[in-house]
This record gives sequence, structure tokens and C-alpha cells, in this order.
Amino acid sequence: MPFDAMSDKSDDDLLAAYASGDAAAARALTARLGPRVFAHAMRMLGNRAEAEDVAQDALLKLWRIAPDWREGEAKVTTWLYRVTANLCIDRMRKARSGPALDAIPEPVDTAPSAAAGLQAQARAEALQDALNQLPERQRQAVILRHIEGLANPEIAQIMDIGPRAVESLTARGKRMLEALLSGRRDELGFEDDDEAQG
Amino acid sequence: MTKRKDDDLWTGATGGLEDFFDAARAEAPLPSGDFMARIEAQALAAQPAPTAPKSAPGLLRQVLETIGGWPGMAGLATACAVGVWMGVSPPASISPYIGTDAAEIDSFGVDPLSGFELALMEG
Repeated sequence: MPFDAMSDKSDDDLLAAYASGDAAAARALTARLGPRVFAHAMRMLGNRAEAEDVAQDALLKLWRIAPDWREGEAKVTTWLYRVTANLCIDRMRKARSGPALDAIPEPVDTAPSAAAGLQAQARAEALQDALNQLPERQRQAVILRHIEGLANPEIAQIMDIGPRAVESLTARGKRMLEALLSGRRDELGFEDDDEAQG
Repeated sequence: MTKRKDDDLWTGATGGLEDFFDAARAEAPLPSGDFMARIEAQALAAQPAPTAPKSAPGLLRQVLETIGGWPGMAGLATACAVGVWMGVSPPASISPYIGTDAAEIDSFGVDPLSGFELALMEG
């Protein structure tokens, strides 16, 4: 759990405090959940402006449901991942039928081998570029499992599918990512890593 | 985060998928300050008003609480009914004192205002 002004309280407790009008709880929840929701939307969409819109919408839904939230029924973050991903998928589907200019993923800088200190950034960008090419459900499963680090049962809950389907989606997603990224090893400085290790 | 054994991501090879995932976790997209300020303002605007304190109880509720709730109210009503009934149809034991000359107040052995006190009042 991230450190914040009320880090000793669970998301459920904070949401209950939020619903009873506690302004400190509103600030703590925003600080705790905002970056997480934004990051997930950003990885799903690959576009900052779109990700901000989606994160804002997802959080607004949470604020509205807060008074009716039933503690212990679902984790707040599980619910948020699901709402965020659904909003992202809606946008992707709409964009497919006629993409607005700002819905097009930001171009990834593929300049030959970024400077040494920027290698991690270049690799993260290359991965995002590849993720943007995955089918939406595979993308969602791979992000939740391998970047957000969630366990299969929670991903199954978020995606409303069985754990086996999660495994299948992540496996297919990874195979496609491997195919997309294998040709970019040299430009992303892995050659240097190999030499350093050898 | 630790690498999972079952991932089989280009196992053992530098430049495997796990390296990309590590980089993605290290370079997590961070929200801008403007965005954070915007969602905080939105959270506060959408927040329900603080729960109002319980309003003061009504007059009947206050009277009831003073006399001990509904049982107290029942006792009071019974006492009133008995008082009215005794006025309408007094029991034989007290009837000699009612409506006769003998019903002077000093016949009960009580003298609320003595002649001495009356003299004092008159100066």
C-alpha cells in the first residue's frame, strides 16, 4: 500500500470516511488511487490525454458509488481496474471506427540505441509500442499480470473470465510481444548487456 | 517484483520479455501535477456533505423522556383519571368533608396562613 497521510487505513475504510464527508479521506484516496488508475489507463491506451480522461471518469464513478459501497464485497482496486479497463476498451473501439487525432498513440522514439541512462525508458517505450498492437483483452491481461503484478484469480475477477482464460490470454499476448520485440533487441542496447555479461 | 518461474520469458536470455516488463515497472507513467489537482478537486466536489448531527427531539419526545417514557405517561393518565373520578363520585370515607361546613381547611389539621401571619401582612 502506498504511503499517504492515512496509510494505516485500508481503501475500504477510506472510502467509508469519504462517503461520510471526510475531506482528508478524499485527498488521501486521490493521492493513493489517482496515480495507479492513470498508469493503468496509460498502459492500456498509450496516450496521456486519453489516459487522463479515462482515469478521471473512473474515479468519478468511484466517488459516486462510495455511499453505496458494500465493504468486503470487492476490493476497491479490483473494481477500479475493471472500470478503468472497460472505459479504455470502449475508447479503443470507438477510435477504431474513426480515430480522432488525439486518440492515436503517441509516437515512440525509436532512435537507434538511446543513451545508456535512457535505456530503461527506451525499453519501456518499446514495450508500450508493442502493447499497443495487441488485441485489447490480451493487452489488458498482460498488463495486469506482468506489469501491475496481480495474481490470476484477481485478474479473472477484473476481466470477468475464468483463471484458465486469463492464462490463455497472457500466453498469447506474450508470444505476440516476443515476436514484436525480438527484432529490436540490438537497437535497445541488449547487445551491450550481453557483452558486459560475457 | 520477483520474476515468476512459470513465465518462460525467453528463459535466460538477456533482452527477454521480463527485462521489458522490469523497464516498464521502473518507468511507470506518472500523472502530471495538474491532473492530480484536477481529480482532487473533483473528489471534493463529488463528496457527500458531512453527515448532519442528529436533530433535537420534538416536544412530545422530550416530555416523554422527562416522565419516564410511555410507562410514565400511562401512570400519569391513570392518576388523572382517578382524580377526576374522585371528584365526580367521592368515596364515602371523604364525603363528610366535601360540600359541608366541616370541610374547612383547618379541619384537616393544616393552617397555611395563621392569624399572626395575617396581622404581619396587614402591618
